[in-house]
Amino acid sequence: MSGVMTVCPYCATGCGMRVSVRGGRISEVSPDPAHPVSEGKLCLKGLYGFRHVADPGRLTMPLMKSADGFVPVSWATALDMIAAKLNAVKRDSGAGAFALTTSGHTTNEDNHLAQQFARLVMGTNAIHHGAPPALGLKTAFGSGAMTNAIPELGDVSDLILIIGSNTAECHPLIAKHVLEAKARGAKLIVADPRMTDMANKADLWLRITPGTDIALLNAMQHLIIKDGLHKLAFIGDHATGFEAVAAALDAYSPESASRITGIPAADIIAAGRAFAKARAAALLCATGIAHDGTLASLANLAVMTGQIGRPGAGIFALRGSANSQGAADVEAGSGSFEPPTVPVNLPEAILAGQIRALFIAGGNPVMSHPDTKRFQQSLGKLDFLVVADLFLTETARHADIVLPAAGWAEKDGTVTNTERRVQRVRATVAPPGEARADWWIFQSLAQAMGCKAMAYAGPQEIWEDMRRGAPAEYAGISYARLDQTHGLCWPCPTEDHPGTPILHVGGHFATPSGKAALRPVQLVDDAEARNDSYPFTLITGRRVYHFGTGTMTRRAPLLAQIGPEALIELNFGDAVALAVRDGDFIKVSTMRGEVIAKAWVTERVPRGQLFGSFHFWEANINEAAGASKSTPAQVAKSSFAEARTALAQKRADYRPDLERAAVARMQASGRAAQ
Amino acid sequence: MNRFVIADPDQCTGCYTCVAGCVNVHQEVGLVAHPRLTVIHTAKVTMPVQCRNCDDAPCEKVCPVAAITFKDHAVQINESLCIGCKMCSLACPFGAITPAATLPEGGGQPVYGGLAEVIDAAVDPLHPILSWTAGQKTVAVKCDMCHFRPEGPECIRVCPTDALRLIDDAAINQSAAQKRAKYSGMLASVYDKSVRSG
Repeated sequence: MSGVMTVCPYCATGCGMRVSVRGGRISEVSPDPAHPVSEGKLCLKGLYGFRHVADPGRLTMPLMKSADGFVPVSWATALDMIAAKLNAVKRDSGAGAFALTTSGHTTNEDNHLAQQFARLVMGTNAIHHGAPPALGLKTAFGSGAMTNAIPELGDVSDLILIIGSNTAECHPLIAKHVLEAKARGAKLIVADPRMTDMANKADLWLRITPGTDIALLNAMQHLIIKDGLHKLAFIGDHATGFEAVAAALDAYSPESASRITGIPAADIIAAGRAFAKARAAALLCATGIAHDGTLASLANLAVMTGQIGRPGAGIFALRGSANSQGAADVEAGSGSFEPPTVPVNLPEAILAGQIRALFIAGGNPVMSHPDTKRFQQSLGKLDFLVVADLFLTETARHADIVLPAAGWAEKDGTVTNTERRVQRVRATVAPPGEARADWWIFQSLAQAMGCKAMAYAGPQEIWEDMRRGAPAEYAGISYARLDQTHGLCWPCPTEDHPGTPILHVGGHFATPSGKAALRPVQLVDDAEARNDSYPFTLITGRRVYHFGTGTMTRRAPLLAQIGPEALIELNFGDAVALAVRDGDFIKVSTMRGEVIAKAWVTERVPRGQLFGSFHFWEANINEAAGASKSTPAQVAKSSFAEARTALAQKRADYRPDLERAAVARMQASGRAAQ
Repeated sequence: MNRFVIADPDQCTGCYTCVAGCVNVHQEVGLVAHPRLTVIHTAKVTMPVQCRNCDDAPCEKVCPVAAITFKDHAVQINESLCIGCKMCSLACPFGAITPAATLPEGGGQPVYGGLAEVIDAAVDPLHPILSWTAGQKTVAVKCDMCHFRPEGPECIRVCPTDALRLIDDAAINQSAAQKRAKYSGMLASVYDKSVRSG
């Protein structure tokens, strides 16, 4: 069969797909029948989410902001300008005044040169990306990555506890493995405030109050120790700190946790017993609980029950984007580098004048960062902003210089999925105009700034450098081997090593002592409390048919047709009280901002809670949301006229006309050059 | 006898891949780019709902212009004959027929920010029934079993969790035979006991 084999660019499942090209454009995407994770299937984003690649709005030339909008300039001009500006910032304010953000949407090779640029050229460790290493796991196990491979869920686990993950919508092909487990007779427990499609299929659904996950996990441990279900021999041989953890659990009886979490005590007891008694129990979690303390509590639970380091038993911590894991691995410093500085609060650092120049390589934080207004305000305070992206995104519009980046379908390299599987991605079509891969951008900029150390011929040479830099993880993973396989899970130290799907086998952890470092975790109530003015709790997340800020999926017509607009989930009871019908416009207001969108009147959310997504610029829930993921909110019915006015205002703020003008100029200048 | 596609709610994760696949193949052959199945979310169930192709179909009965006919084991709507009266939609007990606007000649795909364009351009109608868009007419659309595809319904092919299947004579007969076998086994043991003890 013809077509190029590559990896889906959306979520972190890393599904294998075949891309067919006709007349220089992608004509069809079909599933890779032999892929070990996606097993010959793809979700709608993988199958139909490719049309943005040939969208006429793609950036084809570097753009420079001028008095009358963005004007196209040559690469040489753009690179010289950036080099001069960054050199000046470094000279005047030191390396600390520069920060770089990368994303899980670019390849390992792109990320490697991004971090080399920050460290070698700018002399800073201030590298931020959307997927910080799972610190709670890193501290406990010495590795912040998912401990097992995805297919073990379907093949081995006999109990799966999902917490903080809407697997069905955010990782659809991983949800398939959960269903396979159920068909085999495995039990499914889901802790989620929303009746997601995983909750709907659970044998036991724990409808938890947002932000109280630690109380639930601690209460399960309290019960397990009280019942004597913990594995004392395993703990003694393979863990430190158990006594302190056990002592701190006193306050978390199932009854007291029930009052905090809203879950019946009997259900907490049932969940705790089932988890401890299972032959192989899997903890499936994602960004819903990416909080450091919650992950540490999960680690405590897994270790004290011995549910780790065996097939089907472990912590399946799901990443968000196709290469979130790889970005975290690479930026953690391959070999000779110091780990990146702990991510600071970027907008606050900018507003305090600490960071003066920012390079955003992929990602759209103006929409994806909570408390959007504050973030936008901070961008205005920067002396210099460079953005490299496929489109003139909401973030790119704030930039002084915008660089046209080659996308997933236009470059070679590797990406690492959530189970640490390093896979080859391949160029299928040529990038539009003068768009270039991120690695080329960072290398060219380094050379423009006088750094000759970065001179790679291409992705393979960069990967060879990475193999030398991190031999324990990557030395055994060559492009030749990746071409023969469906990827290899790191650590893979030698060319005859099969890769490591399961970490910490036999209770041997990657910590200096070789033992799991357990630590007591207390529920910290950092959520702002609901009150009379803001009686609702707003929670945020994704919809299955869009990804991130919609930059790619909203330009895929089929996906845009299925998900044309933002919906805010509102419980039936609340809808009756507010006289709102399904499909009416509602206004959600918080201390930070407001959003107007259509109401989806549904039992998916309980009374007093709201759910919205950040896929739509015209109704982006992050403009109202705070960092804690559950924000006090109020709801009012809104008229169509009000919605239309708000939208008109939004359009003025976001200025989509900028994109049209810039594209027209790029096209005119492209014609002039020919 | 009728044939139809049905979803197993225990396998459906509400991922909308069937919906996207449906629009995709119909669009490719020049039919209205509108999904022929609708994903419903209730307190108990998430699953796509589509036409059951009833043998004695109410929609066929009420269509005033005979645009709906039963042939090839399925109820078929001729989109060219349809006058957009929506009687079939009202008559359907499954809510499987939705009125959809045809797209103007040349595509007019929804694009990024499309909502803004539409809202800006539309004139508020006096009543929703009077709303219209130049170059479009409404026709009834419903599952046509992808009769133009030798591979059969596209939704079944693309579903990541194999939640959809085709029910035809063979499937119904097989299901009935299995149930008869199971029931007769139960009956045999009951009969055995009662005869011996009696």
